[in-house]
Amino acid sequence: MTETETAADTTRTGDVVPTALEAAVTTTDHLRIGRAWIASGVLFLVASLVAGLLVSLERMDLSGMALFGSVDTLFRLWSAYRVGIVLLAVVPIIVGLATAVVPLQVGASSVVFPRAASLGFWVWAMGAAITVTGFLIDGGLGTPGGTSRTDAVALTLLGLLMVIGGICCSTVCILTTIVAGRTGGMTLSRIPLFAWTVLVAGSIWLVTLPVLAANAVLIYVDLSGRSAVAFGVEDTIWEQLSWAFSHPQVYAFALPLVGIAGDIVPVAARRRHGSHSTLLVLTALIGLLSFGAYAQSAFDIGTPIREQAIFVVEAFLIVPVVLAVLAGLVDTWRRGSGGRPPAPLVLSMLAVLLLLDGAIVGAIRAVSPLDLLETSATGAQMTFTIGGVLVAVMAGTLWWGDRILGRVAPQGLGFVSGLSAAAGVTLIGVADTISGLLGMNDFTAGDAIGAGSPGSVVDIFNVVAVVGAALLLVGVMGWGLTGLRRLRGAEAPADPWGGHTLEWATGPVEVTSDSPLLDVIAEVGS
Amino acid sequence: MLTTGFKLWFGFCAAAVSAAVFAGYTSGATETGPISLGWKGGVGHHVTYVVFVVAAAVFGLLGIMAVAFRDADSESVAEVLGVDTAPPVQPKVGSSVWPALGAMGIATVVVGLVVSSALFVVGLLLLVAVGLEWTMANWSEKATGDPVANRELRERLLRPIEIPVLALVGIGVLVLAMSRVLLASSVNGAVLVAGVVGVCVFGAAFLFSRRPNIPRRVVSTVLILSCVAVLVAGIVAAATGEREFHQKGGGSGGDHVEVGE
Repeated sequence: MTETETAADTTRTGDVVPTALEAAVTTTDHLRIGRAWIASGVLFLVASLVAGLLVSLERMDLSGMALFGSVDTLFRLWSAYRVGIVLLAVVPIIVGLATAVVPLQVGASSVVFPRAASLGFWVWAMGAAITVTGFLIDGGLGTPGGTSRTDAVALTLLGLLMVIGGICCSTVCILTTIVAGRTGGMTLSRIPLFAWTVLVAGSIWLVTLPVLAANAVLIYVDLSGRSAVAFGVEDTIWEQLSWAFSHPQVYAFALPLVGIAGDIVPVAARRRHGSHSTLLVLTALIGLLSFGAYAQSAFDIGTPIREQAIFVVEAFLIVPVVLAVLAGLVDTWRRGSGGRPPAPLVLSMLAVLLLLDGAIVGAIRAVSPLDLLETSATGAQMTFTIGGVLVAVMAGTLWWGDRILGRVAPQGLGFVSGLSAAAGVTLIGVADTISGLLGMNDFTAGDAIGAGSPGSVVDIFNVVAVVGAALLLVGVMGWGLTGLRRLRGAEAPADPWGGHTLEWATGPVEVTSDSPLLDVIAEVGS
Repeated sequence: MLTTGFKLWFGFCAAAVSAAVFAGYTSGATETGPISLGWKGGVGHHVTYVVFVVAAAVFGLLGIMAVAFRDADSESVAEVLGVDTAPPVQPKVGSSVWPALGAMGIATVVVGLVVSSALFVVGLLLLVAVGLEWTMANWSEKATGDPVANRELRERLLRPIEIPVLALVGIGVLVLAMSRVLLASSVNGAVLVAGVVGVCVFGAAFLFSRRPNIPRRVVSTVLILSCVAVLVAGIVAAATGEREFHQKGGGSGGDHVEVGE
C-alpha cells in the first residue's frame, strides 16, 4: 500500500505572504496553472469565434467584400480562426484541464516538473499574444505580398513556434506525471479514462507538433530571404501548415473528449464501464489513427498523400472505432441507475456524437470521386471535431470545476450554454458539409471566386452557418459567464457527484482493486 | 540503476530516432540511409533528418547525465538531505518567478528576431540571466534540509552579483529613458523637464528622510510608479524621435552643436 500525502514546502521560509499578482505570476501550483490555461484559452476562444463569425458574415456575399475589402484580409481572418480555435483555445483549455485534474486522478501530489509547467504556460501565453499581434498587423499565414507584410508574417510564425513550444513543454510535464508520478497500485490499466486519453493524445502531440514547428521554421527561413538556404515554401505557407487543422490530426486534439465522457458517464450512471480495458484500447486506437504529420503536401511524391491508401483507410477506420466508444458509453449509462442525467453527462455525450459526425464527414471527404478535399467539407470536419472538444471541455469544467476552483457554479446556465454551443457546431458543420458537396471552396484561393461561394445555391447554407457561428459564440460566452459566476459561488462540497476516482478524495487514500472506479478507494483517516 | 530522468530522456531519444528514420523514409531516402546516419545512402530531407538526429543525441546525453548524477535516486536524495531514508513523497516545489521571466526572455528574442537585433541581444541576455538564476535556485533549494539555511546560502552567493548588476541595469535604463525625453523636448522644455524631475527626486528623498516611519510599501510603490513613468516617457520620446539639431558657426570645428526649436 502506498499512501499519498501533502508534502511540506521546504522552499519558503514562511514569513512573506505573496500578493495576488505575485501569486499569479510565480505560482507552481497545478490547480492555479490549470486555471490560468483555461481562463486564457477562453479569452482566445471568444476572439477566435468572433473572427469566425465575421468570416461567416463575409462569406454570405463575397462579390463585394463589404466587411474586409480584400481577399487577403479575409484569408488572414479565416486562417486566424482556424489556428486560434485549435492552438490558442481548445488545446490550451484541454492542457489546463489536464494540468489541474490529471495529477489528482493518478494520486500525485502535484504535476511533475511544476516550474516547467509554469514555463510552458507563460511561453504559450506570450507566444499567443505575439501570434495575435502578427495577425493584427497585416501578418498572418497568407503569402506575403498584397496587403500582407513579410515581417508581420514572420512574427506570426515565431509566435506560433512559441505556442507549440509552450504546449509541448506542459504536455511533457503532464505525461511524466502520468507515467512516473502515479501513486502505488495505480497501474496504467487502472488510471481514469481522462488521464489515459491525455497520455495517448499528448504522446501524439509530442511527435506531431514539433513537425508543425519544423514547417514554421522552414517558412521563416525562406521569409528571411537568404538564397543560400531556400526551401521554396514561402509561397505556400498555409499549405505547409494546414495538415494540423484537418483529418487525421484533428482527432489527436479531440481524443481527450472521449476521456471526459468516459469519466463522467460511469459516475453519473453509478455503474462501472462494461470493459474499462476495451475503452483503453479503443482510445489508444483513435490515437494511433490520428497521427497526421505525414499528411502534408511537402511529402507528395507521386500520388498526393491525401489520395494514398493510408489517408483513406484512416478516415474510414476511425468511424467504427468512435462508434464502438459511443456504444460502450451508452451501454454503461443504460445499465446504470437511470436517474435524471446531470448536465455534464448530456454535454459529454453530445460531444462524442459531434466527434462521430466529424469522423463521418472525414470519411466522406476521403472518397475520391466526390472531390471534397478542397471544399468546405474540410472546414466542416474540423468544426465538428474541434467543436465536439469544445462541448466536452464545457462538460469537463462543469464536472471538475468544483474541484478546480473550490466553488459551485450554476449548472443550468452551463447546460444551456453547452447546448447552444452544440447546436451552433451542428449548424455550421451540416451547412459546410452540404455546401462542400455543392462545390463551395475552403477559402484557400487568392481571389473571390476561389475563396468561397461561386454564387450558387450555397447561399442559404451560408446563412445557416452564420446562425450557427452566432449560437456557438453565445454558448461560449455563456460558458465564460458560468465560470465568472463560479468565482462568486458558494463553497463547493468535497465530492459533489459522488465520484469514486482519486480526484475526489479528500484525504490520504489507498488503491486496493483492479479498477479506478466505484469500489477501489478506501478512504484512510480523512 | 536506471533513474526516472534517464527513462524520460531515453524515451525522447528513442522517439527522436524513430522520427528521424520516419522522416527519412517519407522524404525520398534510400533503404539503408536513415538507419546508417547517411553512411550507406541518402537520408531524404536532410534538414529534417539532421534536426531529429541532433535532438536524439541531445536527449541521449541528458539521459546519460541523469544516470551519472543519480537523478531521482532515493539513496542520493537521502544522502543530500542528511537523513536515513528518502522522504515518502516529492517535496513541494515553491513558487518561482523564473518561468515567467524565462518566457519573457524567449518572447523578447522572438520579437527581436523580427524587429531589431538589439532587442534580440537583450532577450538573449535575459535568458542567460534566467538560466543562471533558475539553476542556482534549484541547487540551493536542495543544498541542505533546512530551508532557512538554503536561502542564506543562495543569497550569500548571488546577492553580491545581483545587486550591482541590477543597479547598473536599472540606472542605465533610467538614464537612457531620461536622455530620450530630454532629446525629444525643445531646448527650453528640456531645461524645464530636467528641473522638475530634479526637484521631484530631491523632494521625495527629503520627505522620506524626514519621515522614517513612512510604510515601506508606500516608498516602494512611489519608486516603482516613478520608474514606470520615466520608462513610459522614454519609450514615447524614443518613438517620437529627437528634436532637430543644427550646426552652429559653419561646422568646420565640429565642436559647436546647438539645437533648434
